Amino acid sequence: MTLSPDDDFAAAEFALGTLEPGERATLAARRLRESELDAAIRAWEMRLSPLAEATPPIVPPGDFLPAIEARIRAAAAPPASHGVAALQKRLSRWRAAAVGTTGIAAALAIGFIAREATRAVAPREFVAILQRSADSPAFVASINLDSRELTVRPLAAPPQAGKSYELWIIEPKLGPPRSLGVIDAATVTRNPRLAAFDRAVVEDATYAVTVEPEGGSPDGKPSGPPVFVGKLVAVEP
Amino acid sequence: MSTAEETPKATEPAASDDLAALLGRVAARDAAAFAALYRSTHAVLYGVVARILTRGDASGEALQEAYVRIWEKAGEFDSARGSPLAWMATIARNRAIDEVRRVRPASLEEMPEGFEPAAEAVDPLAARARSERLAALLACLGNLDADKREAVLLAYYRGFSRDALARRFGAPTATIKTWLRRSLMQLRDCLES
Repeated sequence: MTLSPDDDFAAAEFALGTLEPGERATLAARRLRESELDAAIRAWEMRLSPLAEATPPIVPPGDFLPAIEARIRAAAAPPASHGVAALQKRLSRWRAAAVGTTGIAAALAIGFIAREATRAVAPREFVAILQRSADSPAFVASINLDSRELTVRPLAAPPQAGKSYELWIIEPKLGPPRSLGVIDAATVTRNPRLAAFDRAVVEDATYAVTVEPEGGSPDGKPSGPPVFVGKLVAVEP
Repeated sequence: MSTAEETPKATEPAASDDLAALLGRVAARDAAAFAALYRSTHAVLYGVVARILTRGDASGEALQEAYVRIWEKAGEFDSARGSPLAWMATIARNRAIDEVRRVRPASLEEMPEGFEPAAEAVDPLAARARSERLAALLACLGNLDADKREAVLLAYYRGFSRDALARRFGAPTATIKTWLRRSLMQLRDCLES
């Protein structure tokens, strides 16, 4: 166990539910990338879970089973234009265009560090691969730090019936997550909202995607934990 | 697959072994098993989310989302890490906490009249012998000071934020954070001893 005591306490408060909204969103994003933190949260959930099990039952008003089954069927409907061949074509095209190497964040990061050691000029083009795990990239966000241009390309994001994907920028300096707008699961989305943020914030932030009601979060706050998450890595100019 | 599915009563949680078997079938995409799982667990899960969200519409929504997630994640259930019902109730609770933190802080004013969740929650007779894990956790909670135990239980069962706890106990939020830290670490040490 090499998790710091502060991170372990944050994991405990995450499981207890007492983190402030911004802290909770930050931890929810970090756990997708930090397996020790994720394990600590699970361990705390497990320690406390007998309390949940012992909750006195309340019979809900009405039968929700048909609605739940309908949602499950909608989620399972096969995506129309997302064949594996089309996906691989897009993936390889993106790889060639963006980096000319394998599209895995870790590889990019190592290359980035190696290059940065000998380079004086700050990089301008960055990409963030938004994914649940390294082998399942869902979106690629490209950002030009000078113009703060943000382009989001779908790779393998399953369409969500009656729901929208929304992109968020998460950085402790910003407080709660800030919306960068709804992103499309089928076509490229361009969005200028990054212009409002400092370069350093844009560079250090975590980018996260949540599933929201159609058209985006009604109140400007994420409705749930991120489904995809990533951080920026520099692209060779 | 048997077509004559035994349907337990809504408010009567099924035995853990039965639920684990149902979860296994749900992981294999068995819709009948999912319906049986819903019928035998939904009142407990609704009890979890309704205590946190209080509003009926939000509670119903959270319940539906929780069961969709249970369908998706059934294959991840690991009996070594707890009972099936604890696992499902935790999924429902996480959904409710996400929602309550998004909308507004849970507040004292929204507590229903005459509702004493902390007392209700730790009644050792009501919870007696539900599970060894619960017995161990209750014993460790019993070692905490009364105020600190109530703070942990209000956070867990009612979704109280640090600020809401600070108002409840008339203490600064920073003090509440210190309470929670000491209480949680004490609980962990107690459970591991």
